[in-house]
Amino acid sequence: MVNKTLVFIEKMEDFSLVFSLLVVVSLALLQIFLRNVFGFGFMWAESVLKILVLWIALLGAMVATRENQHIKIDLLERFLPPLALLLCRKMTSIFSAIICGLAAYWSADLVYYEFLDSTVAFGAVPVWLCQMIMPIAFCVMGLRFLSHGWNT
Amino acid sequence: MIGWLGTFLIAASALAGLPLFIVILAAAMFGFFLADVPLTVIAIELYRLIDTPMLLALPLFTFSGYVLAESGLSLRLVRFTSRVMGWMPAGLAVVSFFVCAFFTAFTGASGVTIVAVGALLFPALLAGGYNERYSLGLVTTSGSLGLLLAPSLPLILYGVIAQQMDLPVPFSLRDLFLAGAIPALLMILSLSVYSVWVTKDLSLVREQFDGEEVLIQFQELKWDMPLPFIVLGGIYSGFFAVSEAAAVTSAYVVLVYVFVKKEVNLSSVPRIVKESMMMVGGILLILGVSLAFTNYLIDAEVPQALFSWINEFVKSKVAFLLLLNGVFLLLGAILDIFSALVIMVPLILPLAISYGVDPVHLGIIFLANMQIGYFTPPIGMNLFIASYRFKKPISEIYLATLPFMGVLLIVLALITYLPEISLFFLDR
Repeated sequence: MVNKTLVFIEKMEDFSLVFSLLVVVSLALLQIFLRNVFGFGFMWAESVLKILVLWIALLGAMVATRENQHIKIDLLERFLPPLALLLCRKMTSIFSAIICGLAAYWSADLVYYEFLDSTVAFGAVPVWLCQMIMPIAFCVMGLRFLSHGWNT
Repeated sequence: MIGWLGTFLIAASALAGLPLFIVILAAAMFGFFLADVPLTVIAIELYRLIDTPMLLALPLFTFSGYVLAESGLSLRLVRFTSRVMGWMPAGLAVVSFFVCAFFTAFTGASGVTIVAVGALLFPALLAGGYNERYSLGLVTTSGSLGLLLAPSLPLILYGVIAQQMDLPVPFSLRDLFLAGAIPALLMILSLSVYSVWVTKDLSLVREQFDGEEVLIQFQELKWDMPLPFIVLGGIYSGFFAVSEAAAVTSAYVVLVYVFVKKEVNLSSVPRIVKESMMMVGGILLILGVSLAFTNYLIDAEVPQALFSWINEFVKSKVAFLLLLNGVFLLLGAILDIFSALVIMVPLILPLAISYGVDPVHLGIIFLANMQIGYFTPPIGMNLFIASYRFKKPISEIYLATLPFMGVLLIVLALITYLPEISLFFLDR
């Protein structure tokens, strides 16, 4: 059951990533076409593109956490004996999980304030909805770091 | 005191293998916490990513580069250029520099060039009569050669970071693209001259120039040819904005390599998206949290402190540039290029401007240093990739790359101390 849910979440991430990139490319092409042929563009398209880049970035970062692909320096890791290395990995994972947890909490705080403010990002879409990806991403990354720490 | 302790802790945890974005995020949180600022500010700063101009170009060019890396472009490029330049002395070496530079410009210097192009060139060089040490040095060095050519990702990222800083001396991405051209060509030229000189006693296989064969290979490239025109023509002529050129490029590469030439399976496109966006996500997350961290540093007046501290020792522009070269070379060997850009540019750019260094020129100096940092012993990334890819001990790679590094250091000195090389095409 847990495994099935995890696989489903991973599929959803991959799908959202591909879908967002597809939307970004199509929308950007549409804008070029409209501007050069009809001399106008959709006002909302610029905002959608900008927000989608943030979504792509955070989705990509979530997947990078899953595959343990984040940029790091790990100079010491090359010189540590196995046991110390294990301990070092556990500690870095747990510390990362804590930091992600804090970031999730404080970005949820921002989302909450924007929700009360009900500012509009574009069309009828409120800003808080666009910001939702931040607490979600940090939450998912935090849990993944925790599971890395558990499993190493 | 707290500052030094903090710096030490940050450095230690980074070295211990903590993901870089966590290191920066933690530092920013700690700083804001001490300053009694609600940590919501971190989320606000991260969300500011969406107001960063031209950010769109980054995921799109990265994706295109990943598709290109899986296509047959590298093979076709090597075939065509060796037909065109193969008759020259050290022709194949010169070919290698050009192909690598072109390939790196499009794929970013992420090691793809060594793996995709270097792997083709290395056996070809050996078969052409070049000795092993020279050939190893060549492919290792060339892995980051096109870094200064448009549309390389580090070049774009430098522009993106600089543009959201409200500089007193503004510049556009187009300026940056123009500025990189001559320094990059100068590097290729110097390496070529060195190669001709160093291989003059070897009996190299020289190709006969055959016009018909050139034409055949040229036609093979007919679908690849529009690429540089879309990117460079579109941007330099002003017909596209940079992000639009990026969108057109990514649509074009999918159209050509997936549907027309069928070199990349449609079913592997989601994987390529995933792989490329993992890299983009990693970079942009670091960029986002650094926006917050830089903001904290500015609040804490760190740039001013840094400036007055450096100002005590360094009085002239030349001395400052010398210091920069030292710091950047070291940095390029330790940090990967994207993190180095994101962390160092906000700190160093204001400093450089106050010493009278043009921000465009600084970008070129920074990236040229980073390019050399890629193969600076003992830990430049390209050294490890080449050692792994060509199954040679790392010490052999060190020795092989040193002469090339020497040549590029001379070019670096020229680029650094003669700003005109970079700013030639610009009205500055």
